Amino acid sequence: MSARRLGWTITAAGLAAGATLWEIAGRSVGAAFVAPLSDTIEALTPSVWRALASSLGLFATGFALSVAIGVPFGLLLARMRLLRVALESYIAILNATPMAALIPFILSMMGFGFAPKVLVVFLFAVFPILYNTVEGARSIRPELIEVARSFRSSERALWRDVLLPFVLPFALTGIRQAIGRALVGMVAAEFFLSASGIGMVLQSASQSIDTATVFAAILLVTLLGVLLMELGSWVEGRYAAWRNIR
Amino acid sequence: MTAETRVPLAASGAGLARLMGSTFFVKLAAGVVLLVVWEFGVNAWAPAYVARPSGVIAVLPSVIGSGAFLSAAAATLGSVLEGLVIALVLGIAVGIAMGRSFVVDRLIRYYVFGLFAMPMVAILPLITLWFGYTDAARLATTVFAAFFSIVLNAADGARAVPLDYLEVGRSFRAPRLRALADIVLPASMPYLLAGIRLAAARALIGAVVAEFFISVNGLGFFILFNSRSFHHNQAIVAVMVLAGCGVGFEALLNWATRRYFPWYRRDEKVR
Repeated sequence: MSARRLGWTITAAGLAAGATLWEIAGRSVGAAFVAPLSDTIEALTPSVWRALASSLGLFATGFALSVAIGVPFGLLLARMRLLRVALESYIAILNATPMAALIPFILSMMGFGFAPKVLVVFLFAVFPILYNTVEGARSIRPELIEVARSFRSSERALWRDVLLPFVLPFALTGIRQAIGRALVGMVAAEFFLSASGIGMVLQSASQSIDTATVFAAILLVTLLGVLLMELGSWVEGRYAAWRNIR
Repeated sequence: MTAETRVPLAASGAGLARLMGSTFFVKLAAGVVLLVVWEFGVNAWAPAYVARPSGVIAVLPSVIGSGAFLSAAAATLGSVLEGLVIALVLGIAVGIAMGRSFVVDRLIRYYVFGLFAMPMVAILPLITLWFGYTDAARLATTVFAAFFSIVLNAADGARAVPLDYLEVGRSFRAPRLRALADIVLPASMPYLLAGIRLAAARALIGAVVAEFFISVNGLGFFILFNSRSFHHNQAIVAVMVLAGCGVGFEALLNWATRRYFPWYRRDEKVR
């Protein structure tokens, strides 16, 4: 048996063992603590899927906004050295700040509705994008820009041939990191601001000790997370591959 | 080594100091501008209870001196540190097993990656079902938040150990466990530090979110309580402490990486 084949066999065995253990645990510990796999799958009702779709809408809005603002602003910082020097420390500080701490302020200032939730997802996602883009901006050697200028390169050509190729791979790393954070922001916003989507399903199911639905919702969010993160890594690997070759 | 590197540094010391000084003042000026914009923006457009820099400075001494704030800070940071230590011990064991054993890796890689990708907030309802509305629930959240990034990085580190080291160890008939503890663990330290940095950030978020959810004493709950009673200035002090911890963890781990593993550059910076 080839190593590859063996690997897949072991993985399949691991997944089967996990599924069996989950089922046994659910049946022996009690359904209020651990819902067996079979009950969890049964709890994947259309309403849970609809909740996931609603959450996905929130995620997509906030995430798109953070990319649409974070990347151009990061590029601007790449071009304007003074602005970058002035702001990079503050971006790093905000990137390290747990944005979850701002949720109560957003709640009391903006109340309920869709906009404050989008703001939460945006705040969770935008700083990794900015932080990494600025990192990319720092990696541009000044000589490159000087040489381009010496050859009287136009501003347009400078962006196309120096700034974008250098900064975009870093921006993609930031975008990949932002996916995980935005997902946390999504669920947190749905918990602590107006309840909606998968967050509402989780909360109401746990209040009525409907553990199977809690498990089903967690399973769906996890699959969504894996899918989005894999997509992010794929895009990053596809367009930023040269960064790893030196 | 230090003597050699100090000479050129000292030679260019004056120029370096000038450069440092100039960027420092640019940063300082930007900070002042940001604070002024915040202050006047809030004065002009926001309701009176919204936090502003002058208000935060005014309440700063009384908040920092208050017992409620100190016990909240101690509870949150204690829980984060405890969670990190537990996650570190378990995560290193699992991660090294994953990195060095093909079978273990193939058995659990999808679980580890899946649980890493899962937004940790989502398991809060489950954690409250298991642990109740207690300190233990918060600790469980921080452990969960931190564990998987440590496992993934420890596994990466254990995989990246040069084969030569292990072969030399084997030639000297080092027992397998000794080889893991004395060769694999030290060699994967830089990766581990990167994992701890990520884990610390996640644990901090986990603790805050858990406190919102289960209402136990801590900085997250302090923020929630004060912002609900429209004491935003007081609540901002807690946000500042959390930000300071986030920055502090990151700075500490970056420093440790540079100090003890100067050859290691995961994302090589040109300057």
